[in-house]
Amino acid sequence: MVRTVRMVGIALAVFFVAVIGRPVFGAESSVEQLYAKLAKLPADQRAKQLEDGARKEGSLNFVHTWRGKIARDHVNLFQKRYPFVKVDMGDIGSQDAAERFIAEEIAGRHLTDILTLGVPDMAIILKQNLVARYPTPATRAILKQYQNFIEPQGRWTPWYWAEHGISYNTDLVKPDKAPKTWFDLCKPDFKGQVSFDPPETRFMAGLYVMMGEGKVKEWFKCMGQNQPIIQQGHTQRMELMLTGDHAVQGDNYFYTGVEAKKKDPKAPFAMVLTAPVLSFAGAMVINKNTQHPYASALFVDWTLSADSQNLINSILRGPLTIKHPYLPDDVKLVTYNIVGDDITKRLHEAWNQSIGRMK
Amino acid sequence: MATGTLRWGAGTRPPLMSGRRIIVLGLLVILGYQVLVPLLLIVWTSLKTIRPGEPGFLDLSFTLANYVRAYGISEFWEASLNTLYFASLSSFCAFFAGTFLAWAVERTNMPLRKLIGMITLGRIIIPGVIIAISWILSASPSIGVLNYLISSLIGVPRFFNIYSFWGMVWVQSLEMTPLAYLLMAAAMQSIDPRLEEASAIAGAGTWPTFRRVTLPLLLPAAAAAALLLFIQTIESFEVPLLLGGRARVAVYTTQVYFNTSRMPTDWGLSSTYSMVLLFLSLGLLYVYFRLVRHGERYQTITGKDYRPRRIDLGAWKYLTCALSLLLVFFITGLPFLTMLYASLLPRFRPPSAETLESMSLINYRTLLTEGGYALKPLWNSTLLGVGTATIIMLLVAAISYFVHKTRLGGRKILDFLAFAPIALPSVVLASAFLWLYLLVPLPVIGTLSIIGLAYLTRYLPFALRFVSASMVQIHTELEEAAAVAGGGWWRNFRHIYLPLLRPGLMAGWFWVMVHAYRELTISLMLARSSNRTASVIIYDLWSNGSFQQLSAFGVLMFTILIILVSIAQKISARYGIQERV
Repeated sequence: MVRTVRMVGIALAVFFVAVIGRPVFGAESSVEQLYAKLAKLPADQRAKQLEDGARKEGSLNFVHTWRGKIARDHVNLFQKRYPFVKVDMGDIGSQDAAERFIAEEIAGRHLTDILTLGVPDMAIILKQNLVARYPTPATRAILKQYQNFIEPQGRWTPWYWAEHGISYNTDLVKPDKAPKTWFDLCKPDFKGQVSFDPPETRFMAGLYVMMGEGKVKEWFKCMGQNQPIIQQGHTQRMELMLTGDHAVQGDNYFYTGVEAKKKDPKAPFAMVLTAPVLSFAGAMVINKNTQHPYASALFVDWTLSADSQNLINSILRGPLTIKHPYLPDDVKLVTYNIVGDDITKRLHEAWNQSIGRMK
Repeated sequence: MATGTLRWGAGTRPPLMSGRRIIVLGLLVILGYQVLVPLLLIVWTSLKTIRPGEPGFLDLSFTLANYVRAYGISEFWEASLNTLYFASLSSFCAFFAGTFLAWAVERTNMPLRKLIGMITLGRIIIPGVIIAISWILSASPSIGVLNYLISSLIGVPRFFNIYSFWGMVWVQSLEMTPLAYLLMAAAMQSIDPRLEEASAIAGAGTWPTFRRVTLPLLLPAAAAAALLLFIQTIESFEVPLLLGGRARVAVYTTQVYFNTSRMPTDWGLSSTYSMVLLFLSLGLLYVYFRLVRHGERYQTITGKDYRPRRIDLGAWKYLTCALSLLLVFFITGLPFLTMLYASLLPRFRPPSAETLESMSLINYRTLLTEGGYALKPLWNSTLLGVGTATIIMLLVAAISYFVHKTRLGGRKILDFLAFAPIALPSVVLASAFLWLYLLVPLPVIGTLSIIGLAYLTRYLPFALRFVSASMVQIHTELEEAAAVAGGGWWRNFRHIYLPLLRPGLMAGWFWVMVHAYRELTISLMLARSSNRTASVIIYDLWSNGSFQQLSAFGVLMFTILIILVSIAQKISARYGIQERV
């Protein structure tokens, strides 16, 4: 009996291991060759070819990292414009999306055509060489202040941006006492009153670009001494801050607070705009082995269209081709993409030592 | 034939290839398939610093670097010590509260007992994140409604602090109490009251009888409850992250989360941390087996007819009822009321005249009118829950029978394989299934089947302990008598064991079914457009900032569950063992 079980186990192990480690990546894919060819065409000819090709393909598998209604609305808008492309959309978080995409590609199952990720979270799929280079004229519409988000090699196409910034409860902190800079969060006034999510690569990367490694570590140290609140969930923290649970958010997306204020003008929310706002792009990547190269390209281009950008604007995210829905033009933006693995690793460690360290 | 059957009946060795042996082999194959792949994944990956799929991942060169990284830092050991305190105290409190409620509901003539039992169970479906938030809103030093009341009444500000070690223990204990209740209630339904009657005739009062007769008879269920409570608490996520981070109390989960959650996922470190749970589970399973090794001592269901009898508490029944109501208020009532209140608001605010004016049903309307957005996942979860729970309970009934009622070779491996998944973090399990079905050409990706298969592995350990606790209560003399009368083992299993296992089977079925609504990690990882479950909707609503819509969804789920529990109770009352009062 034991021998039988052992044999079954070994068979499973051999099978599992034999396939899981299969390397799959090659040089320039046929999809990339197609995109390079399309890039040489005049704009109208290129657009026509994309549409004709997409019409023939008829479908698209897309992994959205927006969730729920806003993701569905976004895709519905595309389908309204291009009803001949049926979009099969899954919506999961960046990390799960990236891991799942990698697993599919390694297994040789090309189930996902395109996915969208926060650019700072993209390092792993770029390292594995899984995405197609897609040079597109659609990025020409991106406003000047956001052009840092554009990837020169075309490995990703930015289509909106998200922010990390300081905000506070106006019932608990008067505007004149509010923090003005990131280092102000270390002041004794805010001891035990500033909340953060557990460390995220996208936040670490932004801090690094804004301050440099030395200053970031210094900031972690003084923040750690000020007994910050570490609590999981951006939205939840915002809800709690607005209810009066604590006074300040050290890093959060502004839109949740702005949304609350829109629903209820008395919501005690204010943003700190004297301190730089960390901003990274959400970008589309096309699978190097996509089964629907035309539909994928059509969708990616469409995300920078007026329809898509207006929708982004209406749900209080950051559009790239039109004015931001609530941030002033002169806001100090720190734009960033990907920083090295070694740097984020060091910053995570520094965070754990200074801020994450618990009893 | 009767002699032949009896010769290798309960507790004896069968011939080399019997029907039972073939079934054990079949079970081993099923468990091997369901359990060994993810187990292999964590052991292999823990010995690698290379990610799956990268060159070198297959090489037969291994390293202990992950183990040094994971366990070579003082923070890990500090967090482990905290975890030990946290899990021990929470498990103890949950066990105590759950056993009290089970006793009051199942064994006494306390008024409102059915309602109390139902409300305790209803708690299981409320999403953990709502529970944690509702306790923050109730007992946060700054905004807690309870603190506000106490401050108004006796002038003591910040009386409660949910952001503390004891706050974590409190919330976690309440979270775990329904599990203890379910396990202990199932066992209490099967106690032969004549033993207690004998004790009473000998002059012992209610309490000495409970302590000296009832409790020892419940040892297998109590050991199973303690085992599951302890492991479940170690794995718990919401309380450590929402309250522990704020209380600056690091436990195992937060340590693992902080060290492995960055992009890209650190599979090596994540798997290495899982190994602790694997070994801990093995150790606890060994202790469990040592405790219940004299199975015959707990066999209260014998060939003699018995009917459960309720203890007449006299006037004490009102105090018992009041205590039980207080407990269920904390376990279910308060979170449910918070959820209901939040579901009617556009934005969460403490109660006031202005807030009451702003109440509406808009959150429900949005959920129900958006083209079935929330309804299909609810239906998917119902299908998954009912289907998975039924298959799992049949599997574990068979496993438990072979483990506890036979001496067939391989039975301990069966028990180990069915229990080992308790050590597998959901994310590892989901990845393993994703990998497996990306490689195996079965058309399950994007269907409910792949999620069901992963749930099967995930909930096997829990279901097994539910049924095992009931199985050891059944005396082998029943099967022996049936064998003498010519019944084959399969017939005996169907006609003797399955009906007598009903309390454990029902409790386990309920547990698995409800968790199919709540499970998030596996459902998220394996979800595509057509197989989304209720928990994925919960996550959507939560991550999109709609705590109010999430609350509305929670109220809907709670209502569905209460309806299901009522139906189950009706069926149970109709076909179950008749009780005498």
